[in-house]
Amino acid sequence: MFSVLKPHRWKLALLLLAANLGLLLHLACGEVKPVSEWVWLDIVGEGGSALLALVWLGLVLKSRPAGRVTNYLALGLSGIFFSWWIDSLDEFIRLPDSITWDHWLESGPMPVGMILLTIGIYHWHREQLAISAQMEKRERLFREHRLFDKLTPLGGADYLKRQLAGSLEESHGQQQPLSLLALDLDNFSAINQAFGHAEGDAVLQALSHLLLLNLRRQDLLCRLAGDRFVVLLPNTGESQARLLALELQQAVQGLAHKTRQHGERLQLSASTAVVMALNESPDALLKRLNLALARAKQPLARTA
Amino acid sequence: MTLKTTWYETDSRFIPGHYQPATLIDLALSRDIDSHRLLRGTGLFHEDILAGQTRLSPLQFFALIGNSRRLLDADDSSFLFGQRLLPGHYGAASHALRHAQNLHQALDTLVQQQALLSPLMTPRLVLDEKHAYLYWLDSCGSGEQWRFLLEASMTSLVAMSRALSGQRLPWECSFSHAEPRYVEQYWVHLGEHTQFNRPLDLMRIPREFLAQRWPDASAIAGQVARQEAQGQLQQLGCTSSFLGCMYRYLQRHVRHTPSLEQAAQAFAMSPATLKRKLQKHDTGFQQQVDLVRKHVALYLYQIKGFSNEAVAEYLSFNDAANFRRSFKRWTGSTPNLIRQLFNTG
Repeated sequence: MFSVLKPHRWKLALLLLAANLGLLLHLACGEVKPVSEWVWLDIVGEGGSALLALVWLGLVLKSRPAGRVTNYLALGLSGIFFSWWIDSLDEFIRLPDSITWDHWLESGPMPVGMILLTIGIYHWHREQLAISAQMEKRERLFREHRLFDKLTPLGGADYLKRQLAGSLEESHGQQQPLSLLALDLDNFSAINQAFGHAEGDAVLQALSHLLLLNLRRQDLLCRLAGDRFVVLLPNTGESQARLLALELQQAVQGLAHKTRQHGERLQLSASTAVVMALNESPDALLKRLNLALARAKQPLARTA
Repeated sequence: MTLKTTWYETDSRFIPGHYQPATLIDLALSRDIDSHRLLRGTGLFHEDILAGQTRLSPLQFFALIGNSRRLLDADDSSFLFGQRLLPGHYGAASHALRHAQNLHQALDTLVQQQALLSPLMTPRLVLDEKHAYLYWLDSCGSGEQWRFLLEASMTSLVAMSRALSGQRLPWECSFSHAEPRYVEQYWVHLGEHTQFNRPLDLMRIPREFLAQRWPDASAIAGQVARQEAQGQLQQLGCTSSFLGCMYRYLQRHVRHTPSLEQAAQAFAMSPATLKRKLQKHDTGFQQQVDLVRKHVALYLYQIKGFSNEAVAEYLSFNDAANFRRSFKRWTGSTPNLIRQLFNTG
């Protein structure tokens, strides 16, 4: 937690200082109201807003890497927090009418903060577009981070099923073929056994990158389970899908993965299977795909 | 008649922290999970486990599994855990597995050394002319962790026999629960022919694979390791769990089911104590009796080829209708349907 906030320690210290100075200034010039004069609704409303602004600031700083966009967002939220903070102070402290600077303190930072926040959000949007472009072939139109795989930067089986249901309908409506491709490493358990499970994980991560490079823009790669990957191929007939499968197989064979400990080269190979969607449910289609893969692996049974 | 009173219970601290629990902890740590959060509420400390001094009770292990499942939050946790479980690093018992001459010897070792190799799940082996069947019993009342343990145990056996035999063995797994959302994990880790909604949590394999010689096994090393493991068990003072002992006792007397009082006498305790002990393990006497009778009935159908009437008579039911009702209660299905379920498999 603290390591995340470390690059922002000056900003946070400055905000703390400013908030304290505001408080001291109020205390120096005004008198504290007795509890009987407190208006609870205002205290909860204004104080609560200030507190929430602080929570937003914390969440933004914690969830984003430091950088230009983060600075805009942080400064904007800081200004908004400061405004609300000063606003809530006059619920507790009465300033004499002769003092006018408190209005400036209260209302000045708000528009500045809003503008900075708006600039931040606009750049965030640009940044998001850039990131989405990088997510190509791993994500289609719909994002749900809870469906991401924990190991590889891919969607899991649930994400695939969700996408598959939509794509099936789409292909049906457009009278276009839709194919699925499954790829499974041969001998993956032997890698785990010989080099450890951490190496096996590294192989899967390397493989997911390799497969992404070999796919078309519209394809979607997901990790189904273990060492089994599935590619959703929209507008693709079975023969074209077979060609893609062969290319992926060759790519896996050409991959010169080196182990992390001794840099030893691992010779990898994969089995693939392809099915074209008929009039069936996503579950039935996936089942058919996996049975096809099991058949493709059959001659390998002695080594798998 | 009294039985040997050396069994382990759900609160006996006997599972070395650096055995099976360490496998799960390693898996969680490899996914960047904080060790303090992982061990919260288990009464365990990472340093103690590293020092090799900690012994866990099954209850603590269940808590650890609960934490891991919550923090890992992935459908493949149980399968990945299972893949790492066997032959494992559990002293001589693991050596004995590693040097098993064939699958049969490995399964025998697993059954005999269950307290060391698989303390939370008791495997039982049954053979007929064509198949070897292995089913799993809950050793200590695992409650909501049962499904996780079952997936892990079956995966551990499939993965171990693949690694040691050097080939993918044609295990077929069947589960009593319905097909889960994450069925693809079952396909990948247990095989595409995994079946659900079956009367038993069972795995089977054609018998010819039992005797096939495994490469890289040393007969002498295996022999010595088995003796050593036997010594380790004697040191531990128990070979199976309380529920395992109860299961065997009820199985021996299945033709004339004993009453709670008779069972208590055989276990040298008062009926109230027996009841309390069963409750501690998340079960009851009638539940255990029903479990054993269900297993025996299925055994007689499947392996002995008994008719309904013969099974009813064997289990001392007065009439067939009465038996059918009971059977439906045990399995959720009538005997005829169950037999069909088996045959299609």
